[in-house]
Amino acid sequence: MLRRNFIKNSSVLSAGVLSQPGFLFKEDPLLGQGNKRYRLNTKWSMADVARNPVNDCHEMVQDSKGRIILLTNETKNNVLIYDKGGKLLSSWGSEYPGAHGLTLFNENGTDVLFICDNNRHQVIKTTLDGKVLLVLDYPRETGQYSKAEEYVPTETAIAPNGDIYVADGYGKDFIVRYDSTGRYISHFGGKGTESKHLSNAHGICVDQRNPHQPCLIVTSRQQNAFKRYTPDGVYIDTIPLPGAWVCRPVIKGDYLYAAVLQSNSQQGKQSGFVTILDKDLKVVSNLGGSEPQYVDHKLEEMYQTIKYFQYPHDVCVDDEENLYIAQWNSGKVYPYKLSPVI
Amino acid sequence: MKQLLFLFPIFLIGFICKGQTPVKLAPPLLKYQSVFFKNRASVELKFAQQGTQIYYTLNNRTPTIKDKVYRKPIQIKKSFTTLKAMTTGEEFTSSEIVAATFIKDGINVRSIQQMPANERFQGNGPNTLIDNEGGLPAIGSKTWLGYQQDSVEINVVLEGKQKLTTILINCLQDHGSWVFLPEQVLVYQSGGNTQSFQLAGERLDAVNENISVASCVPVQVLLSKKITTDKIKIVIRGIKSLPEWHPGKGRPGWLFIDEIKLY
Repeated sequence: MLRRNFIKNSSVLSAGVLSQPGFLFKEDPLLGQGNKRYRLNTKWSMADVARNPVNDCHEMVQDSKGRIILLTNETKNNVLIYDKGGKLLSSWGSEYPGAHGLTLFNENGTDVLFICDNNRHQVIKTTLDGKVLLVLDYPRETGQYSKAEEYVPTETAIAPNGDIYVADGYGKDFIVRYDSTGRYISHFGGKGTESKHLSNAHGICVDQRNPHQPCLIVTSRQQNAFKRYTPDGVYIDTIPLPGAWVCRPVIKGDYLYAAVLQSNSQQGKQSGFVTILDKDLKVVSNLGGSEPQYVDHKLEEMYQTIKYFQYPHDVCVDDEENLYIAQWNSGKVYPYKLSPVI
Repeated sequence: MKQLLFLFPIFLIGFICKGQTPVKLAPPLLKYQSVFFKNRASVELKFAQQGTQIYYTLNNRTPTIKDKVYRKPIQIKKSFTTLKAMTTGEEFTSSEIVAATFIKDGINVRSIQQMPANERFQGNGPNTLIDNEGGLPAIGSKTWLGYQQDSVEINVVLEGKQKLTTILINCLQDHGSWVFLPEQVLVYQSGGNTQSFQLAGERLDAVNENISVASCVPVQVLLSKKITTDKIKIVIRGIKSLPEWHPGKGRPGWLFIDEIKLY
């Protein structure tokens, strides 16, 4: 009798715990400010760590079928393909020890991937199931490189006509442009002291939000900034993001999203957050970071405020405006998912 | 009523289960030009996060919620004032402490010469150690001279003969970045001619335990007696190899210095 009552009560208790009526229980705090606020799910990935481990989770994209694709430098499975609910659907890849940059391009109706491998000093174009379509070696044609080791590509961006832009973010900071077949066209950026130069050109994207004036947005991470260039590589302007070690720019709709690896004021201390800029390139929300403040149109230094993330490395925005955050050097954690709060 | 009494423990357990360790806050941003000052230093603390507050102390004690809440920039006039600050919020675990010690200028130095620093950490050039700039506990701050060698020699020429009792060397301690405090500092005074120097003071420090937060530490050498001299030589010996508990155990550590003051 006692035992039966205990079981009965326990099941009621469990139900109470699970349902957590909102009027009485505190909700998890929201991340971000203004219209860009999110609720965090750190347990999104349902992958089995024993079968499908990750090392650094570097970048993520969503394919045309809505699946979420993760690139890690764990050579047991460099590419993990999830559904949006976090269920692991498939995995492939063991030949990308320096897997770093992942870009998806829809080529005449077919999704293809571009992988930047830091260790191989190459960019590799593949099908969604890993078949290699094209390999770009170090860009000897630029006249800037004498050996492969000088070239450490971190990111690609693909223009609507298929032109490939490669950011040599851990090498000489040049942006190298190829046509869709891999033929060298030009290069720009590079290290130096002028505004057009870059320092840790870690990411790049094509910004087509203004269809009359498409441009390239390139990360200059050590300068805590993005820089804009014309598609031909002519410098336009700098978007200062003081305090923020921004990774690649990711554009979805009117907004630009970027993982901030760490705060300048707390280097080496897992001080990352995620920043969101509107179409006027004004920071509107920092997830786990300080509320953006402009004084005389100048952005104040930004920094981590809540330790939700360690070293975020990329943001993927899905078709329902959810965010997926891949992290570098953060205890081999799987990506987190953030759902928008309306 | 009976039903309500029955429901109460359900909600209670709900609270307990929900009450996993709340997420931790980051420390506040300390904004100041330099920890070195002539008349006064002004310090701003920043933390743009709703539902949080900054607490601070100026008496070297760890701040608690019984201490002062930060509201406006803090003016510091007294040398060796240590500011310690943290953030708290109802829904969060309090942050780690950030600290900075503010130091008043000392005796004027005519010139200084030090061994060349590592090419990655060159500070502000030859006068880095006497430019009154520094005290920012980030290895990326451009005020630091970084060394990875057994000892560093520094020669200081004063504005004529001066009375000295204390030598201060501002050092970075950032174990996570392999930066340790010196193990030994030796101070020599000029014996009159340029060649001869006599030992005037020494400081020995054992390697301390693992400290997770980076901070600036003003290492002071009290001279064995008050001396009068126009030149001194300082020899700083860094940690020979990283201690057992460190992930880089056995490998060489770094010494970071950004200012020298004489009193």
